[in-house]
Amino acid sequence: MTGVGILSAVTFVPLIGALVVALLPARYARAIALAAALLAWLASLLLVIGFVATPQRGGLFQYVEEISWIPLFGIEYKLGVDGLSLVLVVLTTTLTWVSILASFKPIQTRIKEYMVSFLILEVGMTGVFLALDAFLFYIFWEIVLVPMYLIIGIWGGTNRIYATIKFVLYTLVGSLLMLVAILATAFAYQAAHGGSWAGAFDFEVLRQWATQGGGFDSTLQLLAFAAFFLAFAIKVPMFPFHTWLPDAHVEAPTAGSVILAGVLLKLGGYGFIRWTLSLYPDASHTFAPVIIVLSLIAIIYGAVVALVQPDLKKLVAYSSVSHMGFVTLGIFVFQPQAMAGAILQMISHGLITGALFLLVGVIYERTHDRTIAKMGGLAARTPVYMAIFGFFAFASAGLPGLSGFVGEFLTLVGTFATNPWVAAVAAFVMILGAAYLLWMFQRIAFGEVSGFLAGLGHHLTDISPVEILTLAPLGALVVAFGLFPGILLTLIDGSVTVALRDAGTGTAIAIDPLVVALGLGIVAAAVVARVATLPFGSRSGTGAGAAGPATAESGS
Amino acid sequence: MTFADLVTIAPLVGAVAVTAVVLFVDLAWPGRRGPVLVTSLAGLAVVGLLTLVTGGTAATAFGGSYKVDDLTTFLDILFVGIVALTIAFGPDYLKPRGLPVAEFAIVLLFAMTGAMLIAASADLLVLFIGLELMVLPGYLLAGYHKSDGYSTEGAIKYFLLGSFSSAIFLFGLAFVWGLTGTTRIAGVAEDLAALTAGGSVSPGLAMGLAFMTTGVAFKIAAVPFHYWTPDAYQGSPTPVTGYLSVGPKVGAFALILRLFVEALGPLKADWLAVVVVLAVLTMTLGNLVALTQNNVKRMLAYSSIAHTGYMLVGLAAFAAGRIEGLEGLLYYGAAYSVMNLGAFACIAALQKRAGVTSNLDTFAGLIRREPILSILMTVFLLSLTGIPPLAGFFAKMYVILAAVQASQDGVTALGVLAVVAVLNAAAAAFYYLRVVVYMFMRESATEQPAQVHGRLLWSGLIVATILTVFLGFIPGLFEVVGAAARAIG
Repeated sequence: MTGVGILSAVTFVPLIGALVVALLPARYARAIALAAALLAWLASLLLVIGFVATPQRGGLFQYVEEISWIPLFGIEYKLGVDGLSLVLVVLTTTLTWVSILASFKPIQTRIKEYMVSFLILEVGMTGVFLALDAFLFYIFWEIVLVPMYLIIGIWGGTNRIYATIKFVLYTLVGSLLMLVAILATAFAYQAAHGGSWAGAFDFEVLRQWATQGGGFDSTLQLLAFAAFFLAFAIKVPMFPFHTWLPDAHVEAPTAGSVILAGVLLKLGGYGFIRWTLSLYPDASHTFAPVIIVLSLIAIIYGAVVALVQPDLKKLVAYSSVSHMGFVTLGIFVFQPQAMAGAILQMISHGLITGALFLLVGVIYERTHDRTIAKMGGLAARTPVYMAIFGFFAFASAGLPGLSGFVGEFLTLVGTFATNPWVAAVAAFVMILGAAYLLWMFQRIAFGEVSGFLAGLGHHLTDISPVEILTLAPLGALVVAFGLFPGILLTLIDGSVTVALRDAGTGTAIAIDPLVVALGLGIVAAAVVARVATLPFGSRSGTGAGAAGPATAESGS
Repeated sequence: MTFADLVTIAPLVGAVAVTAVVLFVDLAWPGRRGPVLVTSLAGLAVVGLLTLVTGGTAATAFGGSYKVDDLTTFLDILFVGIVALTIAFGPDYLKPRGLPVAEFAIVLLFAMTGAMLIAASADLLVLFIGLELMVLPGYLLAGYHKSDGYSTEGAIKYFLLGSFSSAIFLFGLAFVWGLTGTTRIAGVAEDLAALTAGGSVSPGLAMGLAFMTTGVAFKIAAVPFHYWTPDAYQGSPTPVTGYLSVGPKVGAFALILRLFVEALGPLKADWLAVVVVLAVLTMTLGNLVALTQNNVKRMLAYSSIAHTGYMLVGLAAFAAGRIEGLEGLLYYGAAYSVMNLGAFACIAALQKRAGVTSNLDTFAGLIRREPILSILMTVFLLSLTGIPPLAGFFAKMYVILAAVQASQDGVTALGVLAVVAVLNAAAAAFYYLRVVVYMFMRESATEQPAQVHGRLLWSGLIVATILTVFLGFIPGLFEVVGAAARAIG
């Protein structure tokens, strides 16, 4: 139960890699960074092999490492892994090496700093999923912030500084209040235990106390939940805290977007399941109706706004808002299938959206443009690329047999059992999802080759083998989890059971249809306001209308 | 005076002796920097050792007007560290401007002696003497660059407001003496406890309290008594600014610990409200004004005001009945000292070539010209922001922890204070990170060749960086801070 083991290795191998990259000349940076990321990935795969996923033990923490750090306050260095954190850690390590590989060509300036930032980012992300001490959790949570800030701010697009500052300030406001909540929780525990600090930050001890011991009083639960909620809701991001996301995604370099969408958004979902449900079960139930309505709004709003985006990357970014809405919805209906669906959705969104950002990056590398209206006829020019793009677009739209479908389907089934109204509305939105993705695909893939693309001539090459190599593992996993979701479900089953046992299963939240209607009204207003503020010309996406100016541009 | 007295005050004697030796060294080799630097740094090491050796046991000297406890030891080591780092950072900046290094070191050593006297005072008069001995060299240092108009202006403002506040402070002390009839801190505390046993504070005592609070608020640059800070900080030579932003501030907090916590401890319920209001004003105003600054030195001046506010949060938590507040305050003092000194040292290094301003433009594209310096500056700025696992984070966490704890004891104001503090910390991120944006993400307008920095500067920076990065991981530091706080709480 004590000492340093494989979990520390998974977490800190990238840090060692970062140090080595920093000390050696820049020409080795790429290779060492990739090697460190692959090493961490292999170590995380070892975790999967040794993980005992029986129903009895799957929800328990395994490989636990525990070292006293600040004994004065009972703060420990404590890591552990259960099914939920296991799948997310593997997602993190996989996406990290994919992103690093995908950055080899696009990133040409300050490669050393870039790789160091990326590896430290991995340390933070892995640490968040593994930390079992509230204080340690917070530290990893904040460590994630700085490298991402640098990645967007240094290697981002033209408006990168605005985007990165917005990202940092949003996240920091949420996380600092979370720190206050963590401290308040620890004190409440300490006060209830005669002033003893032992275990006051230990997740397992706190959970024990919250669910089977005395529990925290309702005022503390509500305030602490509110603070945690703000931190996680900003990260997920839930409507109306999502406005940093499109900016950050559009400005971030490709690999930054992949990690942002693939892992950073999952930190919020993970936080909800791991920390808030178990520590503040009563407050979770009190807040659930609000969160369900907000999730529903996010699902619809994200989809509708994605429909009208003129920029490929922005479209994918808004689709993330919509997809992540399923995650928060699935968590807060307190139903086993729905929660399993939410976790599956996190994994599958990480894979699919990560891949979509990589694909947008591929085309951006060649055209230096992401405007949907300027594309067209790509299927004729770059058939392989478009085939892969199509695969992931369908996966994102929820085609049965691919992983995206399983997550959303399970979430909807679970939600239907408790809140049929909500499920009905959310299911309807899946059609919208298909609409914006397929419409986008149709606009860029088919039709005449646009003048803009024709003007690029031989610069517009098809996807390269290295780029395929970055996408292949993601595609394979999307198919594997789509056909055999049981692989994941076995792993996470125990965690779902434990989380729902803590939060109180079976207490379905019934939401008044009136509330749902009100939420829809808000969405309608928000969408109208959002669409009304779009520049007029960019709305008529496809066809001759947009091809005109592009032709003129390339003809000159 | 007995021999035991001499042993007890050994660190202080050591400090005076080192100052004298450095004076003579400068006489013997006029204008030479090397011998002065070597003797002063070696001397500081001796003073530090003396402090550690004699600090093991609590003792009093000179009939109880001077005392050594865990708090004295902690603060003395901190002062020695601050002055040693400042001396290490000075020469690179002073040399190109033709400013003498020896006087710089000597004046700093005098100031340190004063600060150490404050930390060890058990008598109000000794306290006041220590205070004056600490701040007078500060005025000299602020105006150290005689030929620079800004330096002179800042020094005059600092001197006028500083003397003024000392007088106000002394006036307040007189009231307390008049009411209690003693200047011994322990005696004052006893008498005050008896005087206010009925629960009422007499008008005379209230006036004394108000005057002393005003005087001290000037010294720590708490809003609304902060007006001298930006001008004095911006005008002073940069290494001096670094010192002024930590040395006199930590010294003034030492005075607060000895005076408010010890002597006026019985009245803490009365000054709690004042401290809460001061803390909120100081954090918020310092941060808001810092947001609009384009000069990094001036920005850090306002940010140092904000940091005063965070330290006051710790004091407020103590007044609300939580010893952790004092621990947090002390920890904050140490963390703030290393990271702020480090940040100013980076600016001073950049300004090695005379004529380089401390405007934000100077930092544009710095990563290309001075990669190591930019990375170190980033570490200090991130620590000032409060990003874990750097020292500044643990410091903020500690005071906020104490405030949250006090609020759970039922003092709601402290809960509000904790939330105000974290919101301020988030707002502060904006202006600290703006410097990082300039260093990493902007291109510099003019091409300037990289500069060569002295070994002493690099060594100082390395020490400051190591401390900033690892302060939260030093085993036992929390216990040391706890012992120091328990010595008076």
